[in-house]
Amino acid sequence: MLFGLPNRSNPQLQLLKNVVLFKDLSWRELAMVDSLMHARSYIADEVIFDEGEEGQGLFLVLSGRVKIILPDEAKTTLIELGPGAFFGEVALLDQSVRTAQARAIEDSQIVALFRTEFYSLLKTNSAIASSISFQLARALAARLRQAVLSTGRHHEAA
Amino acid sequence: MNRDLASGPIVWLGIILTTCLLLVLFQTMLWLVMPVLLAVVAYYLLSPLVAFAMSRGMSRGRAVLIITVILSVILLGAGFFVAPKINSTVHSLPTQISEYGQVATRLVENFKQSLYNYLPFLKPRHVVPISDLNEGNSAAPESVVAPVAPPLTLKLPPAAAPASVPTAPATSGTSSDDLTNEVADLPARYSGDIALELAHWIPSLFLVPFITYYFLLEGPRFKRFLVQAIPNAFFEKTLYLFYRVDDQLRRYFQGLLALTALDALCLGTGLYFFGLSAPFFLAVLAAVMAWLPYLGSIAGGLMVVLVAAKDFPESHWLPYEVVGLFIGVRLLDDFVFMPLTVGRSLHMHPLVTVLMIMLAGAVAGIAGLLLVMPVLGVVMVAGQIIGELVTDQRILARHRHAQRLKRQRARADLYEE
Repeated sequence: MLFGLPNRSNPQLQLLKNVVLFKDLSWRELAMVDSLMHARSYIADEVIFDEGEEGQGLFLVLSGRVKIILPDEAKTTLIELGPGAFFGEVALLDQSVRTAQARAIEDSQIVALFRTEFYSLLKTNSAIASSISFQLARALAARLRQAVLSTGRHHEAA
Repeated sequence: MNRDLASGPIVWLGIILTTCLLLVLFQTMLWLVMPVLLAVVAYYLLSPLVAFAMSRGMSRGRAVLIITVILSVILLGAGFFVAPKINSTVHSLPTQISEYGQVATRLVENFKQSLYNYLPFLKPRHVVPISDLNEGNSAAPESVVAPVAPPLTLKLPPAAAPASVPTAPATSGTSSDDLTNEVADLPARYSGDIALELAHWIPSLFLVPFITYYFLLEGPRFKRFLVQAIPNAFFEKTLYLFYRVDDQLRRYFQGLLALTALDALCLGTGLYFFGLSAPFFLAVLAAVMAWLPYLGSIAGGLMVVLVAAKDFPESHWLPYEVVGLFIGVRLLDDFVFMPLTVGRSLHMHPLVTVLMIMLAGAVAGIAGLLLVMPVLGVVMVAGQIIGELVTDQRILARHRHAQRLKRQRARADLYEE
């Protein structure tokens, strides 16, 4: 169906329910968020976004696996992400460039939430946007804590 | 203009050519383009209301339905309120046309007299009535000379003049009398054509609420549907293109409304000080007519001058003062307000704005003048982004890489080792 409305039996909605960002949303709210998202399919080894590109939004892994690669000589893999994980979240907050490359490890189903659509959600349904923002802030805080601890361990080791 | 998207001369040439081609194409199907354009205006006016209703917990479908119903009720109510007035106006139209025709004739006569007073060499010295010549008065006095200037006539299309309409007598009077008669005949000649043109347009205008409803309801889903067709490598940039086009159109129509308000305020204030009846209503009408560049302004100016001349028949100078005011407001509009509102909303240089309006008039006439700014705004954004995409070697390489992976996948297990 061309313009099918999402509902609880929608498999994409079921997958979104497992994403930490949306864990506090009701099914109705989740359907509203889903209506703003863009579904993409990536084949194994396909680049999702590149380092240095202007980021436009956040990506969520619904199925498959994705790796984030640092732009160093050795092309170090920073992290591997599976279903339910999200990446590129900084682009949701500002118009900055991507600092790493994202590449599909295997065939993956990804959804993207565009920054301007998230801003429109903030205006039209601030309760949903606040819930997502809160979860996003928690996730960013956790990553920051992890980075600080990792740096501290490096210093101790040195 | 966004500095990141600054484009070269080839991209700009492409933008100008594409805009001209689209304008020529749109001119041929104006009956469809106009309702869609009006629906787009309505979409940008109503979408904040839909967003507001959604922020109060309403679903999009319900919000769109309620707002459309409320709007329809308001329009119907306004229709019921205005219909008797329109009916009486239609019934008194022949009288009104005749009155305004007389006003126009008087204006032309006054103008002629003023011209002769200040520039006496333009005055015809004497003319022999042809009837006198027919009666055998061939011995004309030596002072009789032919008019110096060639006959001054308005060039009107022959089809516009119905056979039943009496034409001005050609056998007597001067060229300026011909002009007076032509002006007096204008309303009678064109009223039928105007009615026919309205009858032609009204059915397509009924499409406007229908299209607006679906724009409001399905707009976001339709955008997602279009984006699905975009290859992955171009995905983010294309999303940005959609956002920029949407933003560009929103800014244009908001700019147009701001321009209309500024024009109406300036003209209305001037007319108020001249003491005209309903000055701000007239000013709003003239400002809306000015959406059609050049011709709309001329028609709006004529309307205001005729009303001034009808309201104050004894005042000889008032119509000229109103013309002066109108020209002043138009100059302000063209050189100050427009670059500051519509031109700025499209991030367009004022020189480009003026040149493109002239070019559009040349290639697509009145339709071109009306459509050039929104079309140019959209084509400009699309051209800049496409220019960026096709010259970004990294994105093209990513796209080729993805295509190669898909081809490899498709070929896998196709041949035996």
